[in-house]
Amino acid sequence: MTARGDRILGLGLFVLAVAYGWAAQQWPEPFGGAETVGPETFPTLLSVVLALSSVYLIVKPDPDAHWPMGRTAAEILLAIAILVAYAFLLEPLGFVISTTLAVGALCWRMGAKPVPAVLIGLAAAVVVYFLFNYGLELSLPAGLLEFE
Amino acid sequence: METLQFLMDGFAVALTPTNLMFALFGAFIGTLIGALPGLGPANGVAILIPLAFTLGLPPETAMILLTSVYAGAMYGGRISSILLNIPGDEPAMMTCLDGYPMAQKGKAAEALAMSAIASFAGSLIGTIGLILLAPALAKFALTFGPAEYFALFMLAFATLGGITGKNPMKTVIAAVIGLMISTVGIDIATGTQRYTFGILKLYEGIDFILAIVGLFAISELLFFIEERAGAGRKMIEVGKLMLRPKEIISALPTMFRGGVLGFIAGVLPGAGASLGSFISYTLEKQYLGKKGNFGEGDPRGVAAPEAGNNGASSGALVPMLTLGVPGSGTTAVLLAMLISLNVTPGPLMFTQNADIVWGVIAALLIGNVILLLLNIPMVGFFVKLLSVPPMYLLPMVTMVAFVGIYSISHSTFDLYFMIAFGVAGYILRKLEIPLVPIILGMLLGPEMEKNLGHALVISDGDWSILWASPLALGLWIVAGLGLILPYIVGPLLRKRMRAAIKENPTSD
Repeated sequence: MTARGDRILGLGLFVLAVAYGWAAQQWPEPFGGAETVGPETFPTLLSVVLALSSVYLIVKPDPDAHWPMGRTAAEILLAIAILVAYAFLLEPLGFVISTTLAVGALCWRMGAKPVPAVLIGLAAAVVVYFLFNYGLELSLPAGLLEFE
Repeated sequence: METLQFLMDGFAVALTPTNLMFALFGAFIGTLIGALPGLGPANGVAILIPLAFTLGLPPETAMILLTSVYAGAMYGGRISSILLNIPGDEPAMMTCLDGYPMAQKGKAAEALAMSAIASFAGSLIGTIGLILLAPALAKFALTFGPAEYFALFMLAFATLGGITGKNPMKTVIAAVIGLMISTVGIDIATGTQRYTFGILKLYEGIDFILAIVGLFAISELLFFIEERAGAGRKMIEVGKLMLRPKEIISALPTMFRGGVLGFIAGVLPGAGASLGSFISYTLEKQYLGKKGNFGEGDPRGVAAPEAGNNGASSGALVPMLTLGVPGSGTTAVLLAMLISLNVTPGPLMFTQNADIVWGVIAALLIGNVILLLLNIPMVGFFVKLLSVPPMYLLPMVTMVAFVGIYSISHSTFDLYFMIAFGVAGYILRKLEIPLVPIILGMLLGPEMEKNLGHALVISDGDWSILWASPLALGLWIVAGLGLILPYIVGPLLRKRMRAAIKENPTSD
């Protein structure tokens, strides 16, 4: 029984708590002089609570969950990459093209055959685009498909 | 009979054509969300928030829409429990016990109809309870000072893990992370910049809608990819409906008991709909004893948990509406909507925003009638949708999340933020850190800090004011119990819940 996950988390949170609490002490005194309650009171309280509970986590960690390895981990990283690319390409390529690619790629990686996956992506993109731009009058970027 | 007058005003709000249309739409979408595996009610309501927001709906309409979705999701959860033996959401777990055996015996249609009626009965009882209890509680809550509120927030966090929660320390950690996120931005009281790192985007703080959608929707997608559950499952055929009125009448007392128990479980902090349906089912089983054949497809075994979880979902609205303190994930998401609409939740809402509160309550009543009407004839349609495999569904949900977030601010920066929250949500869920306290922390953080500040100003810096009054002290004690009890009762309860499911040989 290993419990590395919780220990690493506990350590990370402890560092966060210290940094967070330390930063709170650095703020300049608010205009009008210090009072009983300043902007740092609540954060200081939080950092103490987090520090204590993260120590508890290091001392008494739960057993590790099963972390994905190998191919599954690669699939998850790929999915995250698809999402980031989707966000990145949304404006330059426009909603319809980027959505077709992103939804198609995600469907495909989740187990659909490539052709239906892209078709589903395209259909979803077109329907949502028209629904938003004409039905609800919220503009989604047209990108490459914009006609002058 | 002041309440009745308010309720009538509420109906006047809810019955306008636009609001009625949104209630219908919400009920429909909600049932869908509840039915589809991998889309829980909190998740579903979360991805609809940005849409409700960008459509520029007035507050009462937006709330009516989301409450209908919430009510609908509770109805929908039962469909996959009965047909697939997979609960659509956690509260629907107990419905599997008798629902699936009924379906295996070729009585799927009966099980679906019976559970729809039970859901209606449970919701009706819960909503009546809400109408009776909420105004009184709101009046009582007006006597709360800042110290009592601070203690109340502590109570909310302490009990959020629920009696069945696993490691209470992880609930604490989650809540603190949420509260920390809420402190990012310019401090309202003094104007000090906190944790902004000079990034302009962070001056206004981190938008919790982004966080909610990321934590729920995106992390769910990653979970499905990990489990490779993209293909979906085989399902049982739904035959012709042959439910006799006699059977319904014989289950009425069961529904009544289930609804009342569920409502109580919903109101109590930390219990929630899952426990509501569990208690309703177990007590009903004990009460009827050998007279029923529970676990082998007794219709009452479907009626009890469904009445229970729908009663609980109405009950959970009581603390959310009266105190501004939600008791469950979905009500936390509803609270996020209220805050984004600039409505201050809490007891004052009953006087200052009476149209919203009572409009929502009236919409719940109307929504339930709509849901019953929707669920009996259209059940075939929902069943068809259930066969949409997650490999198509989840990418679509992700797209809706992207569209919603993008249309709020038209900024791709927000999309990156949402993805980051999604990845963080996935990692935290793997580490068994619950996500709901994080969201609650983000939502309640500013109020909590404000009340702490007020209390300390009143007492001139004396911290003991926080537990000076008997009421505040009582709240602290309950909060303490809420953290300690799961250690003692939790393993026992979890064991019994698991035993109840294992006992049933047909459910596997």
